[in-house]
Amino acid sequence: MSLRDAGPPIALVVIFAVFAALSPGFRTIANVQNIFDAAAVLAVVTCGITFVLMMGSIDLSTPGIMGASAITVALLVANNRNDNDLGLVGIGIAVLLAAALGCLSGLALVVLKVPSFMTTLGVSAVGLGVATLMFGGVQPNVTDAMLESWAVDRFLGLAYLTWIAFACVLVGWLVQRYSRLGRYAYAIGGAEEVLALSGVKVKPYKVAVFTMAGAFYGLGGVMVTSQLSAGLVQAGRGYDFAAITAAVVGGTLLIGGRGGILHSAVGVLLVTVLSNGLVQVGVSPYWQGGVQGLIVVVAVAAAVIPQRRRNQVTK
Amino acid sequence: MKFTSRPAAALIGVAIAATTLSACTEEAVGSDDTAAAGGGDASTCEPADVTLVGQVRNESNPYEASWLDGGDAFAEQVGLTQERLTYDGDSTRQQEQISQLFAGDTSCLVMNILPNGDSDTPPIVEGAQDAGAYLVTQWNKPADLAVTDYDSWLSHITYNGVESGKQIGDALAEAIGGSGGIVALQGILDTGAAKDRFAGLEESLSANSDVELLDDQTANFSRAEALEVTKTLLTKHGDDIKGIWAANDDMALGALEALKQAGRTDVAVVGIDAVPDALTAIEDGEMTATVSSDGPWQGGIGLAIGYCVATGELAVEDIADEDRAWYAEQFLIEKDNVGDFVSPETDESDFACDNVFSRSQGPIS
Repeated sequence: MSLRDAGPPIALVVIFAVFAALSPGFRTIANVQNIFDAAAVLAVVTCGITFVLMMGSIDLSTPGIMGASAITVALLVANNRNDNDLGLVGIGIAVLLAAALGCLSGLALVVLKVPSFMTTLGVSAVGLGVATLMFGGVQPNVTDAMLESWAVDRFLGLAYLTWIAFACVLVGWLVQRYSRLGRYAYAIGGAEEVLALSGVKVKPYKVAVFTMAGAFYGLGGVMVTSQLSAGLVQAGRGYDFAAITAAVVGGTLLIGGRGGILHSAVGVLLVTVLSNGLVQVGVSPYWQGGVQGLIVVVAVAAAVIPQRRRNQVTK
Repeated sequence: MKFTSRPAAALIGVAIAATTLSACTEEAVGSDDTAAAGGGDASTCEPADVTLVGQVRNESNPYEASWLDGGDAFAEQVGLTQERLTYDGDSTRQQEQISQLFAGDTSCLVMNILPNGDSDTPPIVEGAQDAGAYLVTQWNKPADLAVTDYDSWLSHITYNGVESGKQIGDALAEAIGGSGGIVALQGILDTGAAKDRFAGLEESLSANSDVELLDDQTANFSRAEALEVTKTLLTKHGDDIKGIWAANDDMALGALEALKQAGRTDVAVVGIDAVPDALTAIEDGEMTATVSSDGPWQGGIGLAIGYCVATGELAVEDIADEDRAWYAEQFLIEKDNVGDFVSPETDESDFACDNVFSRSQGPIS
């Protein structure tokens, strides 16, 4: 890791140290476990969005895809609405559906040449529509013992969901580091024309990145369902911008070509530590939103100082 | 009559044109089979000519779905059908849908509307006034907009959030034996509902001096956010927490999950709205109390008031000023009475024209 990438981790350590100094409740083992548990879903979602951002695209389909996957999984595992009890298969189907929705975003981008901002916004609406149809007015509550245990049972002090998040970050990192998909995602973000001129067909890789992102969001939706023991249409509400914020705070640039999974993981921790710490030190809820926004801006500004180049245009 | 703006003039123009057209050409607009009455004598409508419209944010919300079901129940009672409209919490879409309604035949149009926010109410009211439609709104209106200034806007119904916040606050105090620490989960801080409900909790706290508010945080009325915030509060205050006050049931249910994950069973939880999952939780003894505004009744009552006026059984002038903008009765639900609310049904007698204001708890102050 070069000096250029050191900003966000330093910011994380500084913010952690400040909260630890201010609040005895913050520096307990239980609270650190709590922070990791709270970061789990956001970490998985951010894994997906990071690849999209690395390509220089944007993805706003998170709320819709997570909602569709949350309702799907809630209706396929043991629940109070029907007699399904598919267990892991149900989870697999929900993630596949999410991947298909992600694939739809990618196809609309490369085939119809609609900018990713609009296609993903549209796919989000489609996902929410599918979720609302399946919801049908009655909340599906999950009774599946395995899915419920993911949020409740612990291994080495952390919920199973948190270990799933660690696994996702590892998988994401391996894909980014060792697969052609990951390296091309970087290259597309850095200089798509150069890549195309050197004979690489970029379109399939773009579709693949969106499909993989969709699968991550789908897993995120499954995890929210596990935490709430219920399938909610709004399962993914707010995760689109939370994930983009986490990725950018971690040092992934919106113009693409820079950053990566580990950067984003740091960003996720930073955002989660912030919202946890502000509650722990007792900042009034009326102030929290503003204070949180301010710290994020300062953290991003501090993090990009080493990357700043002369004559760089910021838009 | 004075036109205040070009869009208004255009809207009225279109409305008049549409009315005239529909009088000549259109046979059946809604469910009725007689020709539409036209613009002539607008004072009374044949019951069969009345068009009933219920509009809420979305049907994926059990409360709002039950509202529309209540509207259907009333419509069935008078031999009509209700047009169910939803706008996904999108103010622009709500206005578009309503403009479309006003572009059709409005002489016997009865609307029971849930405005998306306070600021969405004035254009709906102005439109109804110009179109001569019969309008009842619920929950949201700007405080300085007076229903009595209009004749098409028949009534505005809302609930006293201070009262419900206090009711569950008192129920929580009783559940923890009158003393101990509680935490509060507030709604979206800049909404009237969140402010009023929290003010109610503060009233309850001053009456129960041994109950201490350890912390108040916002979870934006969201189940997922309430889960995270409650987990953090549980690590912060630990066993000092004896009760959790939530400004709605979704947050209460999120808090219940957090308690389950933390292995805590000694904490009482209260909420507001009476969503189905909360009622189940109360039946199972996991949750202590909630407050119901009776969604099906809300869905029926707005249509009933409009229907009574449209058919001439009730005259706008005869509605007392205090019944033009009023607080409706709400019900505290605890374990002993939860059975009555699990499958709420509308009562036909509530919608009789001489009984439509029977649930009033007084005018909105």
